[in-house]
Amino acid sequence: MLAFSAPNFVLVQGVFYGLGYGLLALGLVLVYRTNRVLNFAQGQIGVIAAVFLLKLAADFKFNYWFALVLSVSLAAFVAALSELVLRRLFTRPRVLVMVATIGLSYVLLALASLPFIRASNTSRPEPVPFDLSFHLGPFIITPTEVLTLIVAPIVTLALVLAVRLTPWGLSMRAMSENADSARLSGVWIRRTSTLTWTVAGVLSAFTAILNAPNQTSALTQALSPDLLLYALAAALIGAMVNLTVAFVAGVGLGVFLELLQWNVPSPAKQQLIIFIVVMGVLLIRVRALRKGVRTGDRSTWQHGAATTVRATADLLRRRVSVAGVGLVVGAAVLLPFVLSVGNDVLMSQICIYAVVALSLTMLTGWAGQVSLGQFGLVAVGALVAVHLGTSVPLPLVMLYGGAVTAVVAILVGLPALRMPGLFLAVTTLAFAIFMQNAVLATPCITIPGIDKTLCTGLPNPAYTVVARPSLFGLSLASQRSFAWFALAVLVLSVLMLRVWRDKGVARRLVAVRDNELGAAAMGIPVLRTKLLAFALSGFVAGYAGVCFAFATQQLNNTDLTFDPTTSFVIISMVVIGGLGSISGAILGAVYLEGLPAIFGSNQTIQFITSGLGLIAFILYLPGGLGELLHRLGDVVTVGVRALLHRDATDAAGPAVGAAAPMSPPALATDGAER
Amino acid sequence: MSGVSATVEAPAVHPSQLKVDDVHVSFGGVHALNGVTFRADAGSIVGLIGANGSGKTTTLDVVSGLVKPASGHVWLDGIELGEYLPEERLGVGMVRSFQDCRLFPELSVLDVLLLSEDACHEVAVLSTTLRLPWARRAERRKLEAVDQVIAAFGLERFRHHRTAELSTGTRRVVDLASIVLARPRLLLLDEPTAGIAQREAEAFIPLLRRIHEVADTTIVLVEHDVPLVFELCSTVVVMELGRVVAAGPPDQVRADPTALAAYLGASDEALMASGPLGEGGRDRTGRSEGV
Repeated sequence: MLAFSAPNFVLVQGVFYGLGYGLLALGLVLVYRTNRVLNFAQGQIGVIAAVFLLKLAADFKFNYWFALVLSVSLAAFVAALSELVLRRLFTRPRVLVMVATIGLSYVLLALASLPFIRASNTSRPEPVPFDLSFHLGPFIITPTEVLTLIVAPIVTLALVLAVRLTPWGLSMRAMSENADSARLSGVWIRRTSTLTWTVAGVLSAFTAILNAPNQTSALTQALSPDLLLYALAAALIGAMVNLTVAFVAGVGLGVFLELLQWNVPSPAKQQLIIFIVVMGVLLIRVRALRKGVRTGDRSTWQHGAATTVRATADLLRRRVSVAGVGLVVGAAVLLPFVLSVGNDVLMSQICIYAVVALSLTMLTGWAGQVSLGQFGLVAVGALVAVHLGTSVPLPLVMLYGGAVTAVVAILVGLPALRMPGLFLAVTTLAFAIFMQNAVLATPCITIPGIDKTLCTGLPNPAYTVVARPSLFGLSLASQRSFAWFALAVLVLSVLMLRVWRDKGVARRLVAVRDNELGAAAMGIPVLRTKLLAFALSGFVAGYAGVCFAFATQQLNNTDLTFDPTTSFVIISMVVIGGLGSISGAILGAVYLEGLPAIFGSNQTIQFITSGLGLIAFILYLPGGLGELLHRLGDVVTVGVRALLHRDATDAAGPAVGAAAPMSPPALATDGAER
Repeated sequence: MSGVSATVEAPAVHPSQLKVDDVHVSFGGVHALNGVTFRADAGSIVGLIGANGSGKTTTLDVVSGLVKPASGHVWLDGIELGEYLPEERLGVGMVRSFQDCRLFPELSVLDVLLLSEDACHEVAVLSTTLRLPWARRAERRKLEAVDQVIAAFGLERFRHHRTAELSTGTRRVVDLASIVLARPRLLLLDEPTAGIAQREAEAFIPLLRRIHEVADTTIVLVEHDVPLVFELCSTVVVMELGRVVAAGPPDQVRADPTALAAYLGASDEALMASGPLGEGGRDRTGRSEGV
């Protein structure tokens, strides 16, 4: 179907980009092998070095090589420091660590823009050590490209040899096979781990420094989801173990992408092909991936948190909860009266984000499947809203949007039936990028073969206006009334999730997550249960998407709204709220959406607060905000009980109901029936 | 699939008869099972014993469908189980417990037991979501059944504990309780006493007997505690290197020199004394077992 041809310089360009993906992939593989951590900050660590190099060379006029050594050391130092901070998380559920590295990348992004690291004039080109360039056809191969073509293979070779031959390499390999045994055989796994991160930091520095001259702004490049996707795909092709394969795969991907751009003019088609190729390659590699991944890995990825409410047999404690929820809902209902129009918009937005977070709570917290593309599903719902518009009653649009998205979610989740948890993260990320760049961006596509046009995208990708419908004749035109509507949607969603949690759905999802074989032996249909998780999650995300479209009233594919990074924010909400906790997801949405509003438009402060906040929450509040809320409820209960008790003794009667023990009885081995 | 409908018509009340016929399994180049043949009569308790790696757990894996045999057949009441998925085998009355007894770490005891009710009486998600009357009724019925079992097994005070918080012994009791809820006709137990102390293991004998009577089921168990097997089982099957080397009533096996050599390797007196041999003979590492 596709005949690829291209002049030589396109190939060279492809190899050049591919070397970047390859180097990034090497860092990902190294860290993953050692700590089983998917390091989202891998690219960002190097950006600091690239920015600092520019500062030293341009502002301070340092010698290039001296500046290079200094800035690479800075990246190595930052990487080692990150490892020291994140170390205590390495035994915890992988999702938590992954989100912590997302937080880390926010912090590093902010650090890179601080005045003592950033050059006074960032638009100046990144320095190069020599001025060596040559012509290839009509195009010039720049000095940076020459440098990359020389340096990247040398670095890779050195790394592969180091892993094979040095004591560090041996320790690292031992640690990745079995950390406990390695430890008992005298491997200092902490030192090895720090060293590995340092090496990964150096790799990242080289990636960023070599790539920087091509970027318009060095600051934006590293978090770029497509870069991450390509590096991850390359790393996965190497089964997260094999350095050489990962590197070669990165180079191959680079060449492939350049060829694609040269031969396929439509960006949407390019995205479609990229999506299909990434999924296809992963499916082909699935055997190797399953072999490369230890059995324990799957469970740690899928490890979530308790979904059931802790035994609240205590009547008073339950009453405190009910009263608290009542108070909050009451206050939220009254809130739009006092808010300004702008804050009404914010309130609708927080409510809708909370519903999206709830959809992910189900999928990640209960079913243990990590999705990095939840906002891609929201986009599906939003598209349904755009196309149905006001022609159909709003509740029906929501149901229809939910149903369509549920089907899409099942399709996206299908690979997860065969792949271990981590790989779903990559396919969902690919899905989110595909939604933004291909589906939203293409108003209509002609299906080849049957000559029919299918209009699924935004009618005007740059600016599509969405008219707000009314609800049973009630106008939702004002921001205030829409805030109430969004609140109502949130409350209904919470009620629905509570039914699922308490009445049998959640326990099936958790059972399949915790012990697939055991669940199957018990007679739980494993495949159906997994797909159920995707369908339910997709349904909730879908109707949230419908509300999202009507809330913003205009949609486009260019700004950050449907950027995959929004999906990172959603998973961060779920994690800082406490995996699997319903109230936690809502608190997470309030925290992450509300906080930037409080700190205004200063991006550095936003990034630092949200980044440091994320890390601090994960480090010091393992149960998340939901846990905090629960503890608050306990404290209030103790207070209320003390008050009641005093009243009761005043009335000369024994305290009724106050004698219920707070702590469970100690555990004993015998089940008491013998 | 015709087999499933046949068992639906005949309600599962009587214990099943299991026949394992010339089963071969190999992992890579290792022949884990090399023509295993034995029979468990309806209502009997059959114990599989043998050294580590003799293929006991693999045999259970084949019977419960987790491992597909290279050749050979498993018959349950005259139904060939070859094409049945593990999930479907519950439908013909087969229930299995695992050696590691992990259960579901994050679920509470109540949820674990409700889960085994879920498998028997599934309620559609939509009717659960809309809280339709029959969904409510079903949930209430499940809760009643589970409450009875919780009371019968004395698990009342662990009701809301997460499984991960329980000791191994208690977890096994929960496992057995969930098995009783599944109303088995054939019960497969993989080392029910692994990881618990000798005295508690002895307490398992009356417990297993009671389950055998109450649930009216055939039991096949893999066990390293030889005295327990000889006391409990009506038939003992001795395995070595993927083969059955002796099978029969306990007295007959005890007298069989091949069986003694294959596994027991000790004198008859040591066999009768439940103490030292039981302690030493129990497999505590467990993991690599059967592979």
